Amino acid sequence: MMLLPCPWCGPRNVTEFAYRGENIARPDPNTADKATWRDYLYYRSNRAGWEREGWFHRAGCRQFFSIERNRTTNETRGVGTPDGAGDAAHSGDSR
Amino acid sequence: MTAPMRLPSQPGEVIDRTVPLMFGWNGRAASGYAGDTITSALAASGERVFSRSFKYHRPRGILTAAFDDPGCTVQVGDEPNVRAAHRRLAAGMDVRAENAWPSLKYDVKAANQLVGRFLGAGFYYKTFISPQRLWPAYESVLRRFSAGGSMSVDARRGDYDKRYVHVDVLVAGGGPAGMAAALAAADAGASVLLVEQEYDLGGHLRYGGAAELATLRELRDRVAAADAIEVLTDSVAIGRYEDNWIAVMQRTAAGVAERLVKARARSLVVAPGLIERPYVFAGNDLPGVMLSTGVRRLINLYAVKPGLRAAAFIANEAGDAAVEDLRRAGVQIAHVADARRGTGLVHATGRGGLRSVRFSDRTVEADLLVTAVGWTAPTALASMAGDRPEFDPGAARFFPTVAELPGGIYCTGGLAGDGSLDELVGHATAVGRAAATRSRVGVAPLPHDPHPALFHGPTDGFVDLCEDVTSKDLATAVAEGYDGAELAKRYTTSTMGPTQGKLEVVNTIAMIAELTGRGIAETGTTTWRPPYAPVTLGALAGRTFEPVRYSPMQPWHSAHGAKPLVAGAWIRPDHYGDPAAEVRAVRSGVGIIDVTPIGKLDLQGPDVAKLLNLLYVNKWSKLGIGRVRYGAMCADDGVVFDDGVTGRLAEDHYLMSTTSSGAAAVWEWVENWLQTEHPEWAVHVTPVTTSYASINVAGPKSRELIARVTDVDLSPDDFGYMHVRTGRVAGVEDSVLWRIGFTGELSYELHVPGAFGLHVWETLLREGADLGVRAFGVEAQRILRLEKGHLIVGQDTDGLTRGFSAGLDWAIKLDKDDFVGKPELVWQGERSDHPRLVGLATVDPQLVPPEASQIVAGGEIVGRVTSSRMSPTLRRSVCLAQLADRLARPGTTVNVRLPDGRTIQARVTDGLAAVDPDGKRMRV
Amino acid sequence: MSEPDKKPLARSPIAPALPVRVVDGWEVSAARSAAPLTLTDVTPLAKVSVKASARGPAETTIGVRFGRARRIDAGDLVVGSGPGEWLVIGGIGSAPAMTEHWRATTAGAGELVTVLDLTHGRAMLRLTGAHAADALSTICAIDLRDSVTPDGTAFRSSMAALVTDVVRDDVGGVRSYLLHCERSSGQYLFDAVLQAGAAFGVEVCGLTT
Repeated sequence: MMLLPCPWCGPRNVTEFAYRGENIARPDPNTADKATWRDYLYYRSNRAGWEREGWFHRAGCRQFFSIERNRTTNETRGVGTPDGAGDAAHSGDSR
Repeated sequence: MTAPMRLPSQPGEVIDRTVPLMFGWNGRAASGYAGDTITSALAASGERVFSRSFKYHRPRGILTAAFDDPGCTVQVGDEPNVRAAHRRLAAGMDVRAENAWPSLKYDVKAANQLVGRFLGAGFYYKTFISPQRLWPAYESVLRRFSAGGSMSVDARRGDYDKRYVHVDVLVAGGGPAGMAAALAAADAGASVLLVEQEYDLGGHLRYGGAAELATLRELRDRVAAADAIEVLTDSVAIGRYEDNWIAVMQRTAAGVAERLVKARARSLVVAPGLIERPYVFAGNDLPGVMLSTGVRRLINLYAVKPGLRAAAFIANEAGDAAVEDLRRAGVQIAHVADARRGTGLVHATGRGGLRSVRFSDRTVEADLLVTAVGWTAPTALASMAGDRPEFDPGAARFFPTVAELPGGIYCTGGLAGDGSLDELVGHATAVGRAAATRSRVGVAPLPHDPHPALFHGPTDGFVDLCEDVTSKDLATAVAEGYDGAELAKRYTTSTMGPTQGKLEVVNTIAMIAELTGRGIAETGTTTWRPPYAPVTLGALAGRTFEPVRYSPMQPWHSAHGAKPLVAGAWIRPDHYGDPAAEVRAVRSGVGIIDVTPIGKLDLQGPDVAKLLNLLYVNKWSKLGIGRVRYGAMCADDGVVFDDGVTGRLAEDHYLMSTTSSGAAAVWEWVENWLQTEHPEWAVHVTPVTTSYASINVAGPKSRELIARVTDVDLSPDDFGYMHVRTGRVAGVEDSVLWRIGFTGELSYELHVPGAFGLHVWETLLREGADLGVRAFGVEAQRILRLEKGHLIVGQDTDGLTRGFSAGLDWAIKLDKDDFVGKPELVWQGERSDHPRLVGLATVDPQLVPPEASQIVAGGEIVGRVTSSRMSPTLRRSVCLAQLADRLARPGTTVNVRLPDGRTIQARVTDGLAAVDPDGKRMRV
Repeated sequence: MSEPDKKPLARSPIAPALPVRVVDGWEVSAARSAAPLTLTDVTPLAKVSVKASARGPAETTIGVRFGRARRIDAGDLVVGSGPGEWLVIGGIGSAPAMTEHWRATTAGAGELVTVLDLTHGRAMLRLTGAHAADALSTICAIDLRDSVTPDGTAFRSSMAALVTDVVRDDVGGVRSYLLHCERSSGQYLFDAVLQAGAAFGVEVCGLTT
């Protein structure tokens, strides 16, 4: 079971987290056309390789954070909280 | 039972001759000593056949005399598939042969070997294809003929435990290298878990000579004295997963049946030693054909004479040592054929056991044939970590490519290379030290000693003894085009039996390589996957942990005949015997229901109204203090997500309620929007679902009842519909009262501090006895709200139901600047061709179409019944339905198809409410 | 209104081991045990939640960071239970005074601080004994060794598949853990910990005050 480095709690079993998917910005709801809005709702890059993703530490600190994960190796880097207040001390590579 | 094959005391024996044990073998009395395995005890008494083989039901005997022995799987009591060459004897064991009928000696299914050519490669794929209607018949016949013991559904072996362990270094394998690595790591300050699959540490030292036994004693003593080393014996590391998460199966553990240890190790040292590889030739499965390591285990560990007259075919020092052990044990040596000098082994013959062996230069009579032709490197754990082992033709075995392993994986011992015992211990010591610091410093690679490449003789024999796969089968597979290692494996099932390749994988690959004219290195190896050794399903399942939730009133519910309803983790009263009577009590007098599971979120801060405006489809800016409002939430795809009421308790203090099933999701939803989209908003969210016990008091007499237990002013002018008050209820301070009406009646929802829930509940029942108060359950509440036409999200909506399809037109405010789901709702409103939520009245009022009944028109599905019940109030069926827009006009007659195939008529009603459509009752 | 004559009785979600007694309006077990490993239902203790921003001015005032727990002069235990989130644990019945105290203490912090009494919303257990960590390691994946989670550590994780707050709070030098979860799962957690401790001879002991 892989470890995911929570910016607040340190490395924890990945089963403690909820996966939020690729980080995608929400378009302006008053100006977005249908294509833009539905890209936001349904389209994902699904790249094999590094991707910035959102995770939620459901069984821990209950904080949302973003992290880069290599989807072919599960290596992680660049963890941060949404407001940038994450703890750099915990954000080292887990390997 | 006599023990004609038991030898006098051996220096390294593990049996305790002072403790004789009696047990049963196929219904007869048998005996052995403490420390014997089932197999060694039986072998001491002269038994040579332990099972019938998987496909051809050939008699099988001892090969390795260890866990992996393919011919030594037995039934013990009601436990099937026990590894008899590993399982220690216990007094009173009822041991029986598996897979033999009517007996081990006369097995009628052995006729399978006469039709062997029909059971060859791809047999299942070719034979039982058509006709499809016969598949069940095929299955029942095949099951009777296939391997495995029998299991009792009543079998109880105690708990299958789990344990989490965190260590610096996990050493898989407790031979000399594993012990040395563990000691070095501990010396360097690491905590160590040392895992050994046998009952004792030592590996091959255990069945060695005086020098090996001396080294063994020294290493064992040092391990025992090292506080930082925890030793698990009769345990095996069955899998290595990401970030060195290692599953260790502890087969014997005090107080429990088995224990699955989930270990997180900074470093993993793989030190499993080497597994001796069998040789393929005609007759290689006859009882009496053994590996040199099997012979040495029998003699040195169990003091059992493996045969009376031995022949040997050897190519290495292990073979020399086995021959020496046999001489010492007084076994007559008929002939030793040394493969290093070019002698070949042609075939072996016998019926029910070995009788004669034909070598390239002579034929000898023997009841024991020892082979020592080389080794298999069990690279499993390294492979699971991503290693691709490489074949060294000079050494005739695979080696892990250590340099390529990810951080924290180390290999040592025979797996890593060759050398004297001292050299191997030296390497392991360096590895242990490096593992402690997760470096590679000071580890020099071990050399690879040359070894003759011997895989098979000139005749066809068994390659996989578990699965009864022969060299002929492999030739067939390659001829039919399955010429890659992974393809041929699946087609023939070679390496797919319980030994999972540990004995047969290299021979399989070598033969495919030869048949295809490629090299072994080019052919590659099959993939090692967890589990490394067979495990019981019970051990993997372990104890089940399924959290359940109860309300504070649960003791009353269970004492009053509540029928439990499992709603997610909650256990709720569905009803107390008569839901229709509960409904009538609410409509005519007063009832109380435990609604504690309703989600409750305490929201505080100056920006709560902004949050509510974002998450709900309706408007919240003008909600006054002391007021309550209904709200519905959609996701950004416009689909209805949850609903509930939210009340404003003070200037910056709100209490939000959610559906019971949506409580956790809404809490997460709120946090998500606050943390990721609006961290600048000052709002604090605290889940208080179970801080309060929640009781809905409903019915025309509810005001009268509540007035008896509270000092809150209940007059309709002061405390009107959709208002909230705080105060004292039944003597309990800090209670919250909401005047809302899910049931359609005058009702008050009480939220009282949780620990007082039972007190308040019992007080209400006592104080309202003369009013006819009665408890009602979830079923009555569902009927009441259906009569009133109130939506349940998830019942009357599904994962595709957008806001305007849920009857929420009145609530959705598209003129708000933003709210979650707004664009999709704008577009849904523009198209206006969406399904509608409607009320239905069946033309025959006594028919209740089951929920999810389809509504059809012109051969098309145009809707479905989402909720339906017989109304005790109206004495007719009441329904809600999702229906195509074109049919949703009130008065339209639609066809409802029942599950039994009948079609009935129903009319679309005017509005959703069947009872009190004007809403007068709840506003009194 | 006719004030009911019966004084409200507060109950834990965990059925008390007999015999029972009433302490400050709470029904508690009067059972006693001198076993080397004991499990006690301490749900009646006052539990007050304090919320502010993570690493904000209020945190400086409170003086306990996320992941740590510290006993203050009044004897109350201040637990850094989440980023910008504290749980203060005090004596039975002291929640109103504690709420007042923390509102007053953080009033000048210059940021939104929310103080909320969660006494009724949470179940709380105490497992005490030298083998407490061994017992918990059968249901919890967190590293409970002293080097990682020493006395005074607080964390939230999954215990027997239930989200549980854990505080390492040794008692007189003996290893001890406070475990708390949302109230409705209290009995479940209690039973799971009892089962986990069975191999180490755990016994139920009532709350001593």
